[in-house]
Amino acid sequence: LNAAPGRAPRQHVRFLPAPAGGDGGATGLVAARVPVLADHPLVRGPRFRRLKIGAGHRLDTKASGVFVLGIGHGNKLLTDLYNCHLTKVYTVGGLFGKATDDFSDTGKLVEKTTFDHITREKLERILAVIQGTNHKALLMHSNIDMKTQEAYELAVKGLIRPMGKSPPIITAIRCLQFAFPEFQLEIHCLHETQQYLRKVVHEIGLELKSSAVCTQVRRIRDGVFTLDDALLRTQWNLQSIQNAIWDCQLKVKTELEKTLG
Amino acid sequence: APRAPAALCRGLARPAGPPSARQLREAEEAAPVFQYVGKAAKRKDRVFVWGFSHSGALGVPSFVKPDAGWKKPRRIQPTPYRLETEAKISSAACGYGFTLLSSDTSDITKVWGMGLNKDSQLGFQRSIRDRTKGYEYVLEPSPIPLPLEKPQQTRVLQVSCGRAHSLILTDSEGVFTMGNNSYGQCGRKVVEDETYSESHLIHQLKEFDSRVVQVVCGQDHSLFRTKKGAVYACGWGADGQTGLGHYDITSVPTKLRGDIAGVNIIQVSSYGDSCLAVSDEGDIFGWGNSEYLQLASVTETTQVNVPRHLPFKIGKIKEAACGGTGNIALTEEGNVFVWGYGILGKGPNLIETAVPEMIPPSLFGWSDFNPDIRVAHVRCGLSQFAALTNRGELFVWGKNLRGCLGTGRKEDQYFPWRVTVPGEVVDVACGVDHMVSMVKSFT
Repeated sequence: LNAAPGRAPRQHVRFLPAPAGGDGGATGLVAARVPVLADHPLVRGPRFRRLKIGAGHRLDTKASGVFVLGIGHGNKLLTDLYNCHLTKVYTVGGLFGKATDDFSDTGKLVEKTTFDHITREKLERILAVIQGTNHKALLMHSNIDMKTQEAYELAVKGLIRPMGKSPPIITAIRCLQFAFPEFQLEIHCLHETQQYLRKVVHEIGLELKSSAVCTQVRRIRDGVFTLDDALLRTQWNLQSIQNAIWDCQLKVKTELEKTLG
Repeated sequence: APRAPAALCRGLARPAGPPSARQLREAEEAAPVFQYVGKAAKRKDRVFVWGFSHSGALGVPSFVKPDAGWKKPRRIQPTPYRLETEAKISSAACGYGFTLLSSDTSDITKVWGMGLNKDSQLGFQRSIRDRTKGYEYVLEPSPIPLPLEKPQQTRVLQVSCGRAHSLILTDSEGVFTMGNNSYGQCGRKVVEDETYSESHLIHQLKEFDSRVVQVVCGQDHSLFRTKKGAVYACGWGADGQTGLGHYDITSVPTKLRGDIAGVNIIQVSSYGDSCLAVSDEGDIFGWGNSEYLQLASVTETTQVNVPRHLPFKIGKIKEAACGGTGNIALTEEGNVFVWGYGILGKGPNLIETAVPEMIPPSLFGWSDFNPDIRVAHVRCGLSQFAALTNRGELFVWGKNLRGCLGTGRKEDQYFPWRVTVPGEVVDVACGVDHMVSMVKSFT
């Protein structure tokens, strides 16, 4: 970054003695634009010594996926994005038959159960109920008076969301794959932590009268940033970062304008 | 250096450290497997009740007379509460302060009742303390003895409750009626100054053109729908709710004419003083009270005593339900339409309409994520509405009279709101201030 051509040095007007030979006595002053010595690269040093990088929504060590970072002035947009309260989408993988103390498959085993009575239909029924109760929680925590006409209009459009602090809420959940005994869910949620999602997997297991652990948590969308915008480990160089910032700028601006008005 | 004596050396023993991956795997495989439920486990049927409990209509005695002296009686149950029943309940009905539950078993006890019994709407419940008197309030589901000819073969198909009378439909022995008969709503001749409380009289009705397949109670009138598609009515008629062309009381079930004559009716509904009927072709007919614009699309009169066809252009109607002041209809596509007066479900601004208005399906959970959610059934209480989706979710809206909506909140609900029930709701019966639902457990 420091090797890239920097800003041209400032120029100012100085009155310099004219290169007049001859008499050596009378000196005429000629105005000339010369660069300021203080702006010289050798005086100033490298332009970037430190970079301010801020992180968006947290991601566990055991989870993977899209992780939003803000650089420099972008940190101010991070708080605005947080206040937008947009949903995040995760793919959560689970395994039936085991229960561990930290709800993931690397934890200490607590119990093993049979699971041959579980069918995809039962799982979908449980997911429908989870979605229903969370939808109710969504409406209740959004702090809108239910008796007004605007509350009704927003509810029809599906735009009611808690715009302040709230417990984790799942806005949508569905089963992507069910390869017995493993299954994969897609969860859209707000204000959650990855450990909460693992707990949800554990509770699904309990509800089906068996037990389940979470094998994988992967964030595939965080607000406006999807997997396509995300940079892989091999792409962590200046050019791709700059391209990514440039592509996302417009998206972020429109989203902020739409939500915060 | 002093060596430890041989007896104290531990030999080949190793100190215990953190278990290696192999040890963990072996311990896991050696752990016992618990079985909570077998492969052929069936889903259980449950009954949930909520609403005003002080009359005993919810069937839980501890709500009215608590077990311990320091506990206070619970007047209102604001969220669904499980009711333990001995048999699988197939049909339930909520009246004005009492409830009837029935099962289609071939045992001797087929119908249970609880709540108000001041007009013997639950039959004669013999009091334990005094064998000659009956109970005025029944706090627990008590069996109702029916005078059946073949008690171990006849099955009870459906029950229905009105303000102070109830109807029980059987498959081969006609309809049994009990309760108040001051307007002939029980289908027998009105006796002057009859005392209805502690009465043993249960009347049996058999004379219809074909087998009766549905019975419906309005506030003080009764409607019977037969297999051939005809509708019979008896009872109070001052609002024209008997649909027989006059405003007097009828004490014998009489066939309705008007726009219904010759039409094959597949469903009848009533709860207050107006009635609705749906034909097999998807047309809807209404009669009775029209003070709240229920029939204002065809007539200006407020009492309509002949069934009139309601020409709504909303599609083929599958099911309709009639409440005290508002009506609701469900079309074949799964859209829900409401009209009438009161809290209709489209926000606080819509108080009354004569033309049906559709409730957007997104309020019932439909979205791009779940495009195949449809409303399967609609039910009506006196000033509440209930809708059941095909996923087994129950949505309620309307006036929250004494906690009857089951939402846990005291305010009225202006748009459909989910009721959290631990199970898939199969059917719901709405009353004035309480509701009963039949639920299947999840697994």
